[in-house]
Amino acid sequence: MSVSNGKNIMVYVETVSDTPVGGALEVLTKAHKLAEARGEEVIAVLIGRDLVDAARTAIMAGADKAVIVKKESYQMEEYGTVLTKLAEKFKPFLILSAGTLVGKDLLSMVAGTLHTGCAMDVMDISDRDQSLIFTCPVYGGTILNDLVIKGTPAVAAVRSGAFVKELLAERTGKIMEEKVESEESVYTRIVDVVKEMAEAVNLEEAEVIVSGGRGMGSKENFKLVEELALACHGVVGATRPAIEAEWVPRSHQVGQSGKIVAPKLYIACGISGATQHVSGMIGSGYIVAVNKDEDAPIFDIADVGIVGDAVKVIPLLIEEIKKIQSL
Amino acid sequence: MEMLVCIKQVPDDSVEISLDPATKEPALEGVTPVVNAFDTYALEMAARLKEALGGEITVISIGNESVKNSLKNCLAVGADGAYLINHENAESLDPLSIARILRKAANEIEENMGKKFDLIFCGKESTDYASSQVGLLLAKEFSLPAATNVIQVEPGDGMMKIKQETEEGYRIMEVPAPCVVTVQKPNYDPRYPTIKSKMAARKKEIKELTPSEEGDSMLKVLRVFEPEKRAAGIKIKADSPQEAVAQAMSVMAEARIF
Repeated sequence: MSVSNGKNIMVYVETVSDTPVGGALEVLTKAHKLAEARGEEVIAVLIGRDLVDAARTAIMAGADKAVIVKKESYQMEEYGTVLTKLAEKFKPFLILSAGTLVGKDLLSMVAGTLHTGCAMDVMDISDRDQSLIFTCPVYGGTILNDLVIKGTPAVAAVRSGAFVKELLAERTGKIMEEKVESEESVYTRIVDVVKEMAEAVNLEEAEVIVSGGRGMGSKENFKLVEELALACHGVVGATRPAIEAEWVPRSHQVGQSGKIVAPKLYIACGISGATQHVSGMIGSGYIVAVNKDEDAPIFDIADVGIVGDAVKVIPLLIEEIKKIQSL
Repeated sequence: MEMLVCIKQVPDDSVEISLDPATKEPALEGVTPVVNAFDTYALEMAARLKEALGGEITVISIGNESVKNSLKNCLAVGADGAYLINHENAESLDPLSIARILRKAANEIEENMGKKFDLIFCGKESTDYASSQVGLLLAKEFSLPAATNVIQVEPGDGMMKIKQETEEGYRIMEVPAPCVVTVQKPNYDPRYPTIKSKMAARKKEIKELTPSEEGDSMLKVLRVFEPEKRAAGIKIKADSPQEAVAQAMSVMAEARIF
């Protein structure tokens, strides 16, 4: 069932509350550059209920065409079938999505059905001599692999923050609706969906993240991390030990088994800097670390490291930041 | 409840892997091989289900002789039987080939046992290559339903009640068995082996299987390299937290952070 001799790039644009996720817009902008260099087009695919505004945003981010497929609610098999059928119809040479949990699931399904290869957590895509090279992390990001996908289309899920989105209001494109029949899944039934995080608190989209780790010592102390995040208009992140101690819900976890983030500012409080955590936040623009242990590996990657007890340092930081903001 | 847990042996993920300056390959010598963390969570989830419902757990892996040690470790923490698909160069296999080889081997085991697996577990990804595709591809090969990033499985009325982690929280789903689940870290840790369970595991046989013929790998690595190191910035050690914060604020002001 392979789609050979592909042309154009198809991008799955994931939406939350009918709005594209930031990672999808980053991917669209990169796809636009890759397609333009080859004289080809970007086809954005949006699946859901009310997506005309989201389709416009997709065009602003780089799509030449935005295809809307109406479906009631997320269902992995159903969405996967829609994407596969559209891939068979449009015959792209490349299929991309943001590397969210949903994006990874859907692209695995598409690649499996089309019998092609899929690169995950892609950090860069380069087009050399008409051949696409994908850069992917291995061993928690301490080593990178450049790889090529031999099957067509190439399929890849992109790590958030890998590319910069450019939303240009003057960009124009065509919005069209496609009907794709896909049987209601005979497999799974979703009984309940629980959101532990307010939508505003989205780590992947956040410009400022303040994270706490084991060094915060207690749930009570962890509140300081939340206060600092509030003062910086940022969101709260955490390491696995802080999650396991139940100081904060799991949806806040940053790192290899949590979220991969790339905010402009990352403040690490009481975090030693284990590989598993660092691999999830190394793409941050500016890193501030507060830790008692002056040999903590987090200081090797921090732009500013404060050697000191986070519990004593954070209240002072909050005070100073508030002062600046009241000026 | 008949359960199959697919495991991968990986280098200990608490060790930072770098490139060997001479060979330009990942320096893995001296790094202890362990069972992929997410697979240990899968095995623990299966062990808890077995305690609640009865049945047996079979573990399976693809790799060379050394993987037998990891399989023995699984036998010591809840698995009843273990199979190794003997492959000298498992590193070269792409996720689709792995899924196909696992599916054929699982069918062979089912035939040998004269019963079918009700639940097939994989970790959500491996800590080395993190492709996070094998579970879903395996479900596809079996034509079975799949649930990914699972943190809880409970038997329901003819269904498995599954808690799936999402970006914002979680989702409760009902999935008919047999099905494939990929496991994320649940709210508990895998159990440790006891001396007695280790001794018993040592005596058990690891059965060997021959891999089915594989197709061409869809992924080809062109270059292996280390990411550019992020340069360390300024480390502030002051006499008092007040002074440290004052210094830090002035550095950040210069960098126009605040």
